Amino acid sequence: MKRLLSWAASLAAGLLFLAPLLWMLLASLREESRIFQFGDWLGSGGWTATHYADAWRRAELGRALVNSLAQVAAIAGAGLFVNALAAYAFARLEFRGREVLFGAVVILIVLPVEVLAVPMLFTARDLGLTGGHGAAMAGLAVPFVAKAFNIYFLRQHFMALPAELEEAAVLDGAGAWRQFWSVALPAVRPALATVVLLDLLAHWGDFLWPLMIATREETRTVQLSLAALFTQPPVQWGDILACAVLATLPVLVLFRWLQRHLVATEARAGIK
Amino acid sequence: MIAWRKSQARAAPWFLLPALALLAVFVVWPMLRALAWSFTNADLLAPGQGRGIGLANYSDLLADPRFRRAFANTALFALLVVPVQTAAAFLLALWVNRPEPAWRWLRTAFFAPVVVSMPVLAVLWTMLYQPAQGREMGLVNALLGLVGAPPQAWLRDPSLALPAIAAMSLWQGVGLQMMVFLAGLQGVPRELVEAARIDGAGAWARLRHVILPALRNTLVFVVTVTTLLAFRLFVQPYLMTRGGPGTSTLSLIQSIYETTFVAQDLGRACAAAFLFLLLVGALALVQRRAAREERA
Repeated sequence: MKRLLSWAASLAAGLLFLAPLLWMLLASLREESRIFQFGDWLGSGGWTATHYADAWRRAELGRALVNSLAQVAAIAGAGLFVNALAAYAFARLEFRGREVLFGAVVILIVLPVEVLAVPMLFTARDLGLTGGHGAAMAGLAVPFVAKAFNIYFLRQHFMALPAELEEAAVLDGAGAWRQFWSVALPAVRPALATVVLLDLLAHWGDFLWPLMIATREETRTVQLSLAALFTQPPVQWGDILACAVLATLPVLVLFRWLQRHLVATEARAGIK
Repeated sequence: MIAWRKSQARAAPWFLLPALALLAVFVVWPMLRALAWSFTNADLLAPGQGRGIGLANYSDLLADPRFRRAFANTALFALLVVPVQTAAAFLLALWVNRPEPAWRWLRTAFFAPVVVSMPVLAVLWTMLYQPAQGREMGLVNALLGLVGAPPQAWLRDPSLALPAIAAMSLWQGVGLQMMVFLAGLQGVPRELVEAARIDGAGAWARLRHVILPALRNTLVFVVTVTTLLAFRLFVQPYLMTRGGPGTSTLSLIQSIYETTFVAQDLGRACAAAFLFLLLVGALALVQRRAAREERA
């Protein structure tokens, strides 16, 4: 009896958390006039897929998805390399001023980017990252490539590597670069996957920065397209919902893929 | 090995250069510039031509009812979200902290809203909170109707809008804190909990005297991160209510954004940003103090 109760409570709680997302998916398939009429959801009819075609066309989602994917890929890809390099230096190389410099980086972790968005916009403009199409696309990504938290996080993982790993490579005559690239980097792969995952979650939903920098229609990201559908009349709830679903699918797929990669590398590390 | 040391010291600058240069250009430099502008009457269109006006921007802000309202809203949001979300995340973590694979789907359910991005959820919840108009209503009001409660205007009600946004934000973020607590719980030695059980400690005593002390640093971390995130409130009210009705959901970030682009008063916007940074710095210091006590 107690077990049954615990199962029922779990099921109810799980459904409570999933209900809004399930509603989003189902409502995106309802005819416009029947979305908010729960009375006839159970009746037959009233289902349609036209919102998807309309949203795709009205919000120019094809281009917006490409822009969002390009932004996240650039931040995560370039960020992985740049932050891992710095993290490795802080963890494994000895040089003067290391602790002071690292302390300064740690302070930057708590800086909320949103608050600095306005002066950042001026810096981006001075560097020519706002003008044309390519410039604005770069402006969406470049300021977020270096990230204090990612440096801190990767440093922890580089520090946890056993010293023998390094000594063997030194005896082979490997320089700092080869140490980093062929020994240390492959050894922290789960941490790298985690960093990419965090970047994906953080930047797929970026809103304030794209709002300021991607002012031309052809540089709009998915979230901006969704906001445009949502705020510009005539409001078509079905189209908005379809757009919301389409804006969510890529991040779900990427998340699952990265998660599997994370688990797979952990499993492989366990075999060794 | 000495040669290796030397080559290390020579290589280090090249390893650090890309990240530190980017951080300097896109984080440190804008911050210093904002600090300088905050003491001038710089205009959005001609930031370089501002005159120094001392601390006038800061004193104006502290007296500005709109800014004070934005601060009060954001602080109230944090007060609503941080304690409840931390407690809820901890309880959920205790609940799903079981090895059987059947519990994995429940963890996934609690975590699902974290993966969906905030603008999507803001738009979605605007529809869920839709007030009743004839037979049409949002899901929240429809569910209230099932238990016989009267429908509410939610986002259009000045006294309910902020709590409604807080509830939605809690639902969105609790899964992430739950994961952090889960990781912490897995670090609590099983023998310790077992020993307490053998000594006759009940579930509550085990929680109070064994598990909670072991999780102290995790707890401090979760409270700090949740507070910092709560103060960054922007997307939800901006999309769901535009800061309204009236100024009842105006956030600090939105007020900075509007001071810049609507009032075009760059100097004052930068002063507001700096007041915000001071607050964040103070919060971070409190957290460090709290975390350090435990080590001592």
